Amino acid sequence: MLCEKCGKNPATTHIKTAINGKITELSLCGYCAAEAGYNGFAGSTFSGILASMLGQSLKAGSSVTARRCKCCGSAFADIAEAGKVGCASCYNEFGEELLPYLKRIHGSVHHTGKNPGKNQLIIKEETNTVSELKAKLAALVAAEKYEEAALVRDEIKKLEGKE
Amino acid sequence: MSYWYKDDKAQSGVIISSRIRLARNLKDLPFPRIMSAEVLSELKTRVKNAVEDITLNGDYRLKYIEMDSVPEAEIASMVERHIISPDFAKNCNGRAIAISDDERICIMIGEEDHIRIQVLLPGASVDEAYSIADDIDTLLNEKLDFAFDNRLGYLTECPTNIGTGLRASMMLHLPVCESKGDINTISDAAGKIGLTVRGMYGEGSKASASLYQLSNQITLGISEKNAIENLKAIAEQIVDREKQNRMQIGSVELEDAVFRALGTLKYARLLSCDELMKLISMIKLGIDEGIMDESDLRPIEILIEAQPATVSKKFSLSGPSERDEKRARVIREILKNCN
Repeated sequence: MLCEKCGKNPATTHIKTAINGKITELSLCGYCAAEAGYNGFAGSTFSGILASMLGQSLKAGSSVTARRCKCCGSAFADIAEAGKVGCASCYNEFGEELLPYLKRIHGSVHHTGKNPGKNQLIIKEETNTVSELKAKLAALVAAEKYEEAALVRDEIKKLEGKE
Repeated sequence: MSYWYKDDKAQSGVIISSRIRLARNLKDLPFPRIMSAEVLSELKTRVKNAVEDITLNGDYRLKYIEMDSVPEAEIASMVERHIISPDFAKNCNGRAIAISDDERICIMIGEEDHIRIQVLLPGASVDEAYSIADDIDTLLNEKLDFAFDNRLGYLTECPTNIGTGLRASMMLHLPVCESKGDINTISDAAGKIGLTVRGMYGEGSKASASLYQLSNQITLGISEKNAIENLKAIAEQIVDREKQNRMQIGSVELEDAVFRALGTLKYARLLSCDELMKLISMIKLGIDEGIMDESDLRPIEILIEAQPATVSKKFSLSGPSERDEKRARVIREILKNCN
């Protein structure tokens, strides 16, 4: 189907409006849709789409609004607006909110590529219990990965402190 | 080695160039979108020291350059030569790059991520480009603490790059697929396995000269190797389709189109960049299909050097009209012995 406005390019944006119960439909190409101001909600870029997805979660959930990243001070609203995080620690602070979107974008939340084997941050996983972490610590010590082991040890301490 | 666009491998065939970009960040600094001038300065110092400390394989040496010292025209020309991204050029105040003499390696400092390692090679060389980028990444990681998480991989400012931080792409010359209206079909097929097709200068750009960039989108849950294998597999299918399409055009029609393009290029007195790109694309098709026997003609080199800022810089010109005239004169000179 061709764009209903210019009649030249394929229609990629379908707009349905309801004004006083009267429904009108319009199919436009990307250029005409942008001209008519319809590029905002869908976003012309990947990060634009992401920003609008994250924005939705902001409206739906409320507990996240008060929290700020301890490292860079970003609020979730800042991240949602930009579609971009403030620093590496934001993934830790807002992991719960971000993971579903990462899954939606990439279809996975598990990295399977290159592993530099050092300077790893440990993002809190919901399943990380103290006993699981202790097992992980033992394995890391056995493999002589002391730097990573130290991070796991700190996390165990933190969790045990809470209990 | 020569610049990528002057290399023999970039001049013929459907695959013009191959590019790898790795996004990396330092784990303790805020990301570029929100970093202060002090953080930017700290970032540059650390990366500069690391870059100067490492020794790359082969003849590659990286030179650190402050973008504030680069004239505006040269920055625009660097985008046209694909050395830096359009986004970086727009916002490069106070930023820096580390670049090899042949411009095939460029590390952008303070683009969307703290570090973007780019390797751009002529022809179908995506494996080789990855191998170079991977080495640089490993060496830099010995000096710098990159933000990495066991579960999520390399952490990036935009969640669309998280995981491998890898964008692998190939630039393809698809004049006949384009004229047959096949690009949408190709784009849909690529989309199904997480690849995307864009214009010559990336997101939102036009594909003048029928040049398209095929690249991966998915970076989490797929290894670098698999992402690159997917890219190569789809590129191969697109190349086959372009070749099949070329066989279906009548030889007289093709010859006519190629020689009309040659005629215009040989005699035009004013050539806009857009027109030149379309015509050079036809000439390249003519050479690839053996219609023109002009093996010394270098279409991609001509095409890059005819870009607006690159022409202005080379001949110290000011306005667009002067450029169009100069472009026509230069191309007439190059083609004067072509029949």
